[in-house]
Amino acid sequence: MKRFLLFSGIFVVAVVCFLVPCSLAQVEIVIWHMEQPPHRVEQFQRTIDAFNKENPNVRVRQVVLDWMEAYTKVMAAIAAKQQPDLMFTIPDFTTAVKPSGAVQPVDEIFQTLDEKYKFFESAVEPYNYDGHYWAIPVYGMVHMLWFRKDIFSKFGLDPNNPPKTWEELLESAQRIGKSGEIYGVGVPASKHMYTDQAIYTFMITNKAEDLFDESGNLVFDNPRTVQAYAFYKELYKLSPSDASVWTWAEPQLAFNTGKMAMAIEKGQFLLPFEEESGVPGTNLGCAVVPIPQNGQRGSIYYSNGVMVLTKDQSKLEAIKAFLSYLFDPEVNGEWLAGMEPGLFLPVTEATMNSNAFWSNKVVSQYRDHVELMIEQSRFGKLFGFTKGRVNPDIGKISGQNILAQVVQKVCLENMDPAEAVKWGQSEMLKALQRKK
Amino acid sequence: MLRVKVEVVKRFSLGVHLLLVVILVGFFAFPFYWILVSSFKPTEELIRAKPTFIPETFTLAHYRNLLRVSEYPSYLRNSTVVGLLTAALSTFLAFLSGYSIYRCEYPGKRIISTFVISSYAVPTTLLTVPLYSLFARAGLINSLWSLVLVNVTLTSPLGVWLLKAFLSSVPKEVEEAAMIDGASRLRIMFQIAFPLIFPGVAAVAMFSFVTSWTEFLFANIFIMNEFQKTLPVGIARFITQYNVDWGLLMAGAVLTSLPPVLLFAFFGKSFIRGLTSGATKY
Amino acid sequence: MERRNAIFGIVLVVPLLLWLVITIGYPLVLCVKLSFLNVEFIGEIGSFVGFSNFVEVLKEDILWFSLLKSLVWTIGNLLLQTGLGFFAALVLNVNTKATRFIRSWVVLPWILPTVVLAIMWRWMLSGTFGVINYLLIRLGLVSAPINYLGSVKEAMGALVFINSWRWFPFISVLLLAALQSIPQELQEAAVIDGANGMQVFRYVTLPALRPVMSVLGVLGPLLTFNVFDVIWMLTQGGPSKATYTVPVLIYERGFKAFAMSEAATVSILSFVFLLVFVAVYLKLTRLNVGEYMEQ
Repeated sequence: MKRFLLFSGIFVVAVVCFLVPCSLAQVEIVIWHMEQPPHRVEQFQRTIDAFNKENPNVRVRQVVLDWMEAYTKVMAAIAAKQQPDLMFTIPDFTTAVKPSGAVQPVDEIFQTLDEKYKFFESAVEPYNYDGHYWAIPVYGMVHMLWFRKDIFSKFGLDPNNPPKTWEELLESAQRIGKSGEIYGVGVPASKHMYTDQAIYTFMITNKAEDLFDESGNLVFDNPRTVQAYAFYKELYKLSPSDASVWTWAEPQLAFNTGKMAMAIEKGQFLLPFEEESGVPGTNLGCAVVPIPQNGQRGSIYYSNGVMVLTKDQSKLEAIKAFLSYLFDPEVNGEWLAGMEPGLFLPVTEATMNSNAFWSNKVVSQYRDHVELMIEQSRFGKLFGFTKGRVNPDIGKISGQNILAQVVQKVCLENMDPAEAVKWGQSEMLKALQRKK
Repeated sequence: MLRVKVEVVKRFSLGVHLLLVVILVGFFAFPFYWILVSSFKPTEELIRAKPTFIPETFTLAHYRNLLRVSEYPSYLRNSTVVGLLTAALSTFLAFLSGYSIYRCEYPGKRIISTFVISSYAVPTTLLTVPLYSLFARAGLINSLWSLVLVNVTLTSPLGVWLLKAFLSSVPKEVEEAAMIDGASRLRIMFQIAFPLIFPGVAAVAMFSFVTSWTEFLFANIFIMNEFQKTLPVGIARFITQYNVDWGLLMAGAVLTSLPPVLLFAFFGKSFIRGLTSGATKY
Repeated sequence: MERRNAIFGIVLVVPLLLWLVITIGYPLVLCVKLSFLNVEFIGEIGSFVGFSNFVEVLKEDILWFSLLKSLVWTIGNLLLQTGLGFFAALVLNVNTKATRFIRSWVVLPWILPTVVLAIMWRWMLSGTFGVINYLLIRLGLVSAPINYLGSVKEAMGALVFINSWRWFPFISVLLLAALQSIPQELQEAAVIDGANGMQVFRYVTLPALRPVMSVLGVLGPLLTFNVFDVIWMLTQGGPSKATYTVPVLIYERGFKAFAMSEAATVSILSFVFLLVFVAVYLKLTRLNVGEYMEQ
């Protein structure tokens, strides 16, 4: 009798122990992203921790990757059915992952968030095609002309009147470069996304931003593109010799150590400037990218988004909750500014008007620059995603950095720009026409 | 007269030799000196155009930072575990197979030996995806065992061939004598052959450990969780494309090279001594 | 007795064989399968296209271009590594207090993770911040900083140098072991017999080095040809394809150009090419089991 009671007691306890955690079952959401710098990881963790605390039945977890391996890892994971639930992305990355069938349309989540917070059109455009939305924009990045006001003054250039045209840009760079000690400007010629971005910014200002025409034909090879490359070469001649291997880190180093006066880059220049340069932040100048004659204002604009890779209902509920939390203007503002002030620009009007964003130490210190960047975002474009035309194979062009390869032909091999652009066009065609 | 001349020639050639040693040391050690010294400089001094060979300001900030933002102790532990397991398994398999191919007779031996060496003809990049799905199905992703498996594959074939070179210098007579004395093949293998080619075994173990320690491609793909990462993958985080924390990088580089260096400081001498004295028994 | 011996031998080698069949054989078979399909991205099923991949790939200029690059890379590395390895081994062979100490430390370059290697040399060879350029200019050997890794002409040379710097200790340690295994008496006997330096080298030293050299002669080219991480981390096959070796081509095709089947095709071609090399080498040197001994 006693034994019977003992065993049934244990049985009941066991059942209860089994059931109770099940009912309090935690849903785990795994997010993959490529924002590796430690302070970005830390900020993200703070935001995640706050959410997890408020939502005990959801556990969000971040996994950090490198861009170089992101594609391989996610495709391998998808093939092994081990993919993450959410993954941060950029527009061409999404087109590359989409053929696997794992990218879920996010129309519903998007509508809900858009109603409350109002997304910027330029941020949404590259993710809206084939009748659906394929990712939720999370932050935007835009190119500006960065310049050292102190170096400008030193060489008799007006620090409050930065170059506005291509000619002025070249002139100022040459004047500074003549000294032999400091480089006037720096543009990359590496086979890297950075070079793709830099040359594209110049193509935009010269009205050569469309890679494809209305019928979807490749129109990369045209006189305006050639002009952009020819001008780029002039700038490259004035750049540090290292520029042929630059990623985003090196020009910042050259700029901050006073070896280089101007750079075309995104907003990450704000945070480390004072510490690395040793001079006050007032010496950091930020201006609109110079425009050629008969050109247009513009820069490359990268709308970073988040893709949903899971179909599980309970996870989708949790994802909705998490994204709602993330886009709450005060949370969003703190998150963006905390990750990388100036580089991660808001994609919603709500966040743009939030207190949290503007009260961040660095953002408020460089308020003018950030406002200018947000304004410039409205003129932002991305190759392969212009005028609402999205070629699903654009990843094959950006994956191989063909735009950058043409830069290398022009700048490193001294090929005639017209010839090089023609070569680029044929390479792009080859990449696009692979499948028989 | 002759004695003096010999002395002078001896001194001179010793001097020349010393010079060559210095050149050799400078050649392989200078880069290490450079990153070691750089890791103690504050960032501002580190990125100066005109390099300083002795730090003007000495700081431990980068090391503190590194330990704060990364899981260095975990990386260290993982790399060590994987390295030791790889060395043990690889050496064991290499010894067994090397002995089999070199000392035993059976049909197809030559084909097997060629097959083993041909594994290095396969381009490693295309191994990544098939192995990933294989390991995923076996639940080995994020497990250190996946790395051990791959590293053993990468190192044991070379181990087999290295041991062949060493086994070739062991005269058959020693083993034949033992066989006549009635010893079993197993005993001969482990109690006679093994000690005699110990230098070779040590070389294989060393090669396996080092290859495993420095391996990046597979360690990067198979391990996603921070706490299971190995050292090379762990510190690769700091070479992000957005900005580079040079100080962190230098400190990370020093700390990643340190463990094998220390290992060699302690065991290297006996390895090398073993290698160099091993064959003089004949 | 023979039978038992044979079984014993087979049993010993089976574990390794199994291991290799799973971890290399299986991916290889998959690779062959892929090369007959038209798969673009990982996980895609694709359809059968026969030999067309092979035909297309062999027609491409870039394939032969990268093969040439690979040959330059491999031969350059072997020459430099062996040269440096020999130099180090000979220097360390002399028994002094200094060399006894250095012997265990010379392996330093070899035990570096590739990542650290990349950081180290990118930093030192930089045209703007590099200490190498600084020293060369100071010593008056060059007039302007050279951006080694970013210059079309210098990149391959720089990479060969870096990779050789990394591997020469391994070679020197093996050579040193072989050198040290030469019994003192043999050398002294030769000298007494009237042999001069060159002859001692030819008849005493070289034969002792032969086993190690033979093994390195087949493994060296294989390992060097397939090096990927060093090249990818430092130059990504650039600048402007100056260092675009076959492994780089394979990686880019498969993971950047989304043409997995083509990457598989090139892999198979590369594999076959190296197999032919192995077969020819083994035949020429008669380095087959049991066929060489009497040295």
